[in-house]
Amino acid sequence: MTTRLIDEVLFDDGDPPRLAGARCSACTTVVFPRQDSCPKCSNGAMSQHVLPVSGRVWSWTLQAFAPKPPYRPPSGGHRPYHVGYVDLGEVLVEALLAVPRAEIRIGLPVRLTTVPAYQDEDGTEVVTFAFRPDLDGER
Amino acid sequence: MRRTDEVYVVGCGMHPFGRDESVTGMDMAERAIREALADAGVAWEDIGYAAGGSDVSGKPDTLVGRLGLTGVPFVNVQNGCATGASTVLAVANALRAGEASLGMAVGFDKHERGAFHVSAARYGLGDWYAETGMMLTTQFFALKTRRYLYEHGISERALAMVAARAFRNGSHHPLAWRRKPLTEQEILDSAEVSPPLTQYMFCSPGQGAAALVLARGDRAFDLCERPVKLASLAFRTRRFGSFEVFSPWLPPGPHRSPSVDAAEAAFRAAGVRPADVQVAQLQDTDSGSELIHLAETGLCGHGEQEELLSAGETDPTGRTPVNTDGGCLAGGEPVGASGLRQFHEVVRQLQGRAPGVQVPGAPRVGFTHVYGAPGISACSVLTV
Repeated sequence: MTTRLIDEVLFDDGDPPRLAGARCSACTTVVFPRQDSCPKCSNGAMSQHVLPVSGRVWSWTLQAFAPKPPYRPPSGGHRPYHVGYVDLGEVLVEALLAVPRAEIRIGLPVRLTTVPAYQDEDGTEVVTFAFRPDLDGER
Repeated sequence: MRRTDEVYVVGCGMHPFGRDESVTGMDMAERAIREALADAGVAWEDIGYAAGGSDVSGKPDTLVGRLGLTGVPFVNVQNGCATGASTVLAVANALRAGEASLGMAVGFDKHERGAFHVSAARYGLGDWYAETGMMLTTQFFALKTRRYLYEHGISERALAMVAARAFRNGSHHPLAWRRKPLTEQEILDSAEVSPPLTQYMFCSPGQGAAALVLARGDRAFDLCERPVKLASLAFRTRRFGSFEVFSPWLPPGPHRSPSVDAAEAAFRAAGVRPADVQVAQLQDTDSGSELIHLAETGLCGHGEQEELLSAGETDPTGRTPVNTDGGCLAGGEPVGASGLRQFHEVVRQLQGRAPGVQVPGAPRVGFTHVYGAPGISACSVLTV
């Protein structure tokens, strides 16, 4: 089965792909996804900045009901899923959390991964970014 | 002689909130306006400036076709949850500038059932954000609440206390939608939507309308026995570092809300302190939001909410009565009408003729607060 990233603007071109934000040359603010102007100082030049791959859950919740479109459920249909912010140090990123309910908590070490988002009409599996428990992160 | 740069509420009207398939948004707006005019004892022809807001239920200025084609300047406002406050601001500024001596502010909406529809492009975001199921206001409220409870050591039961008080107040209010009181346990045990928030901790999109007649100080006391002074009204958008709905990323913090800025500005301009407030309206799209807004507006300190709630201090008989009409939780949220519902309730409380439970002791200082996407807040101080 062929797969593709949901939106290439979110990722660098590495393998496996990492999240690509932007960093301001003047005030060092890091944003995600990338944008061309700095929302803090409006002064600096923004250049691509690859985000750290590991961090900690900063907040989390569950999406219990199926969202209305434009949400596109995975091929098996909507199942409740976790969402949260991951503290990557220089920036907090909102992401799907591939973490079981029994393990999920603020402070949990997590690592970047990809998960299926939905299927294109031609059967292509579209993947998006998510974070999963990082077993090495508890040190 | 009252000053001509002071603005007063001299009449208010409201169509009941809830669900009623027999009326349109415009029908409700017309009824609210006619009620406000009658309350002020003036005619539509007397209105020299008008502003109206609706998110999804039509162009407000077309109401002139029903009310009378007087040529009145009528500004349309579409400003999310701050729509109502923005209409009041537009009218108040016009009165202060001498454009007119009497003005009308109206807000209305009639939403579909269920969570609001969203468009990523409308918020300047990529389609991926909505397609992957992260663009939901309910998630944001849950994420902000979860983090807030964690940072300030507040239990999930405090969220149930907020909702229980809202439904208790709503049960006594003839214009509220949800009028059945619920126990804290029933609220905690209701369906999980986005933990820590359950079904009964969220308001629902609904329908309704509310309208105010505003007058300049030199007219107000001739028209109304007990005009309510708009002592201040401050509107702010977010600054860098605020934690807002539909944010794919956040800076590391600290996160400061536009509610903090708007509340500080409103209190400063009115020359009163948060501790002086005797009846308050806080945006309660969900229990967590009200809990957080209590502290962001300065009505209590961060982390003090649970004690305040369990001591009954936010009840109508408490030190700082909050959402005496049941707020959005009991009223539902017709976006365009919600902010004006707040004014309606506080004005009627300060005039001693609350439709529901009257705050005892003749309160003299009221406060309203709205907060909405993507990071806007408006706060007002009302006094008699």
